[in-house]
Amino acid sequence: MCDYRALWSDVVLIFPILDGKYPVKNVDEKAYENVYRHLSYVGNIDRLTAIIELETESIARNILAPKFWKHFCLTSGESSSPQHKSLSDSYAIGALKDTNALFSHFVEAIEELYNGFQCLQEMKSRLMQLSKNPLLSAKLKSIQTTLHIAMLAQLPPTFNSIVSDFYCLHFRLFTKDSYQASTTIDSEVFTDLPCVGCNCDVEQCCCVKLSEMVKSSNFKLFELGLIDRLAGSALTALIKLKIKEHITDTCLGIFDRSHLKQLESWINDTVMTWLTSIFTAPKSKKDILPEKIPDSVQAFKVKLTYFMYETFAQNVISQFFSIIIDYPDSTLAIDDLRICMEKIDMRVYLTESLRSSLEARILHPGVNTMDILTGYVAAIKAIRHLDSTGVILEIVTAPIKDYLRKRNDTVRRVVTALTEEGPTDLSEELAKGEFVKEGKEAGLDEFSNWENWEPDPFGIDPNILHINSSKIIRSADIISMVVDIYGSKELFMVEYRNLMADRLLSQLDFNSEKEIRNLELLKIRFGESLLHSCEVMLKDVTDSKRINTHIHGDGNCNESPLFDISALIISAQFWPSFNKESLQLPEEMENEFKKFTSAYESYKGNRTLNWRTVTGRVQIIIEIGERVMEMTVPPTQAVIIYHFQKKNVWTLEELSTLTKVPQSALRRRISFWQNHGLISETEPGVYSLLEKESEKTQFEDMNITDADEEDLESAMASASDQREEELQVFWSYIVGMLTNLDSMPIDRIHQMLKLFASHSGGVEFTQDELKHFLQRKVREHKLLFSGGVYQLAK
Amino acid sequence: MAQNISPEQSGGAGGSSKHNDDLLPVKDNHAVSKRLHKELMNLMMANEKGISAFPDGENIFKWVGTIAGPINTVYASQTYRLSLDFPNSYPYAAPVVKFLTPCFHPNVDLQGAICLDILKDKWSALYDVRTILLSIQSLLGEPNNESPLNAQAAMMWNDQKEYKKYLDAFYEKHKDT
Amino acid sequence: MKVTIKSWTGVASWKWIANDENCGICRMSFESTCPECALPGDDCPLVWGVCSHCFHMHCIVKWLNLQPMNKQCPMCRQSWKFNIH
Repeated sequence: MCDYRALWSDVVLIFPILDGKYPVKNVDEKAYENVYRHLSYVGNIDRLTAIIELETESIARNILAPKFWKHFCLTSGESSSPQHKSLSDSYAIGALKDTNALFSHFVEAIEELYNGFQCLQEMKSRLMQLSKNPLLSAKLKSIQTTLHIAMLAQLPPTFNSIVSDFYCLHFRLFTKDSYQASTTIDSEVFTDLPCVGCNCDVEQCCCVKLSEMVKSSNFKLFELGLIDRLAGSALTALIKLKIKEHITDTCLGIFDRSHLKQLESWINDTVMTWLTSIFTAPKSKKDILPEKIPDSVQAFKVKLTYFMYETFAQNVISQFFSIIIDYPDSTLAIDDLRICMEKIDMRVYLTESLRSSLEARILHPGVNTMDILTGYVAAIKAIRHLDSTGVILEIVTAPIKDYLRKRNDTVRRVVTALTEEGPTDLSEELAKGEFVKEGKEAGLDEFSNWENWEPDPFGIDPNILHINSSKIIRSADIISMVVDIYGSKELFMVEYRNLMADRLLSQLDFNSEKEIRNLELLKIRFGESLLHSCEVMLKDVTDSKRINTHIHGDGNCNESPLFDISALIISAQFWPSFNKESLQLPEEMENEFKKFTSAYESYKGNRTLNWRTVTGRVQIIIEIGERVMEMTVPPTQAVIIYHFQKKNVWTLEELSTLTKVPQSALRRRISFWQNHGLISETEPGVYSLLEKESEKTQFEDMNITDADEEDLESAMASASDQREEELQVFWSYIVGMLTNLDSMPIDRIHQMLKLFASHSGGVEFTQDELKHFLQRKVREHKLLFSGGVYQLAK
Repeated sequence: MAQNISPEQSGGAGGSSKHNDDLLPVKDNHAVSKRLHKELMNLMMANEKGISAFPDGENIFKWVGTIAGPINTVYASQTYRLSLDFPNSYPYAAPVVKFLTPCFHPNVDLQGAICLDILKDKWSALYDVRTILLSIQSLLGEPNNESPLNAQAAMMWNDQKEYKKYLDAFYEKHKDT
Repeated sequence: MKVTIKSWTGVASWKWIANDENCGICRMSFESTCPECALPGDDCPLVWGVCSHCFHMHCIVKWLNLQPMNKQCPMCRQSWKFNIH
């Protein structure tokens, strides 16, 4: 009565999936009628529905999804060529093969999936037709959902790279026009380059074709409702990459203009438009309303803008060293970074990155101190511009200060930079005379300026802030910051004094106008008391000039002098101590000095002079053979050559006894004359005058500035020589305080030393140094340490 | 008993002989501290046996001194702490010097006040911490029994053996100070 | 060979001709200043008493002014008289 076999074949005809197939063929109405009639008779429509639903799920799970994902798991060897493609499609894809193999897989996969999807969709609509029950559609799961579940359950880990490759090409095609517009390669060269869109030769450009493929694939994905799940993360990654590339392309190394506006509009105009086109394309190609940006895209925008700022800030930060060096030309780059940092907390990143780049770039032995100093000053200026609170500055510059402190020529360089024109602009800073007086104005600030108070920047370890006594540094000017390298103005002033002494003693021209001007500027800044010695020294120079004039005008001294004497008469108490070199003058010379001394004594009652014979400048004329040389030399050199007048050959020993100059030092001094070809060491320790013009004949009017480095060395005792002495002094004080005050903790000892032992010469002793020193004394059993206090060992 | 008075309590009592510092201008302060710094430095560098002194705190005008009892006297092997308060008119006026450690001596009262001419009318601007401490050190062995502050000590002085015995008992009593 | 010295610019430190290094009153070096002064030498001179002891002028004058009756040398307690050279 019922031909089940015929019925089944009709059912299978309508629902080929029941047979495990899904290409759909058209079915005539009769088959529907037949199936419907029978099933409603048997009342098995519902069962069929259930079966179809099961089969749909099975197809999705067992066929469509694995097939689709298989495309994403291909190893390179397996890459099958697309089979059912039109010729032109194949051509376009073929051309892309090398660079865009993954692209073709993606297109193909989507195509297949889409076909399958449509088939399943058709099954559903046929079922509807069959059941004639309008409520059925609500009961059935949507095919989309079914497919989703099946797809996502089998998600392979590598699919993202294929998806992103696809969208990468998509993006390239999309931005092709704007890229060409922005590139200024002249057209001739341009034709030789491959098309930026499809990477083919320009004549064979297949961008248009590709665009269509991309669009239709994208449309299919959209229709499948898979676009968000499938492409979302790949898109995010891709756009992030594109943002990075764009920032690198447009901003790297350019600090003299602001980039943020450009970047923001690029995000808006290019990236967002592109995204919108992906997420809205299928609605209808005619009416994409610009204001109708989907929520998902809107959420994207917030994320991407944040990312753009972050990436840009990182980009700027990674180049911050160059920005520092370029400052103030890099002001606009710093402004950009400041805006970014208002939006994103990057302080820790900034401080760490900057610290490490500073260490790599300037804080190593290959960089000379002046360059480090220049970098330090530039860093102060640039970072101040970035962060007016000074907190970042403190953290970033701490290692520079630590490093500079370890170099023994730092203070000298600072002083040089302050008093001479140079790359650091410090002399300009000094001349400006602007500075913040500590204490008084800081106090005013606290109360009258409270409305401008700003909290410390966030994101920075508060412990770091507490370690440093930050207040002073934050309000200090650049010079104070530089002087602060040593942690004390006093030490800086001591070095300033030493250097000034060196200059005055080596120039000996009684011209101190420039020094006086610098001193006045420094006095304004650092107070008179610290510079008191310098003031006396400069007064010595001007006084000496007057005394010289007086003595030269005095009749007593003028009786047939052997030579003119001018003297720099110093108040020794106010000058740095001299080194212990000596020089015995020949008697006739000494007499000249005696005459000067007695002239002085009669001019200044009750006072006399102690000559420091090694220091000075002597103008001599040497007549030898045909030649006459006039030169200015240090006294020791003058005395040496003077002795060779009377005797042509001297042993080192004889000369040393006569001049009271130690042999080693004397040998160095003699080498000056050897270099001039006047004296030669004929046998070890024996020196002879070369009267005849020998090989060495390039005698020139030598000036003292051309003389040996040795001769320019400081007449003063060096700072390191004084250090051991200082430590000994400190030890005496420590013994003194512990004798009378029994036991003390280290900070109190340190404070006492600061108060009472360092008044005379700005002697500095950090607590760390002190700790080492005290520990040494504990090891030597001079001190006992227990319960956090030190006491003398009995 | 008078001996029970602790040095802390006695510290404030002897302030009657305060110098009239108000007469001198304040700017002297700097000059005085300059001299005191200098004295401190000389004292530290000299590192003389048996005497020492150091500022008590941040104020350079208040020092603590330490002297060892002179050898071959009943005070040998004892160590004495003293306080030195410098007036603003120093060195034109003498500092106020007192024993912090209880000291049984004819010219030292039980509050630690010292009767010594160079700290009073025989003061000279040339004296300094070092000479003051040396003078007090030698005063220990050579008291001036004519004008005693501690009559009991002056009376006992002639019998050195008995004196020593008393002194040892005295120290035993004040051991913990 | 003949060496002629045309001119010599030398360096010397000045010093008081006194029998001591430091002023007994202020303890500063004679070549330094008394605590009140900034510039040494002419501006802060030494003076001698007939007892031959010498001090910074400012120091001894202050000492003498603070002595109520008999003005004595703080060194030797002889009555102080300036020794005018």
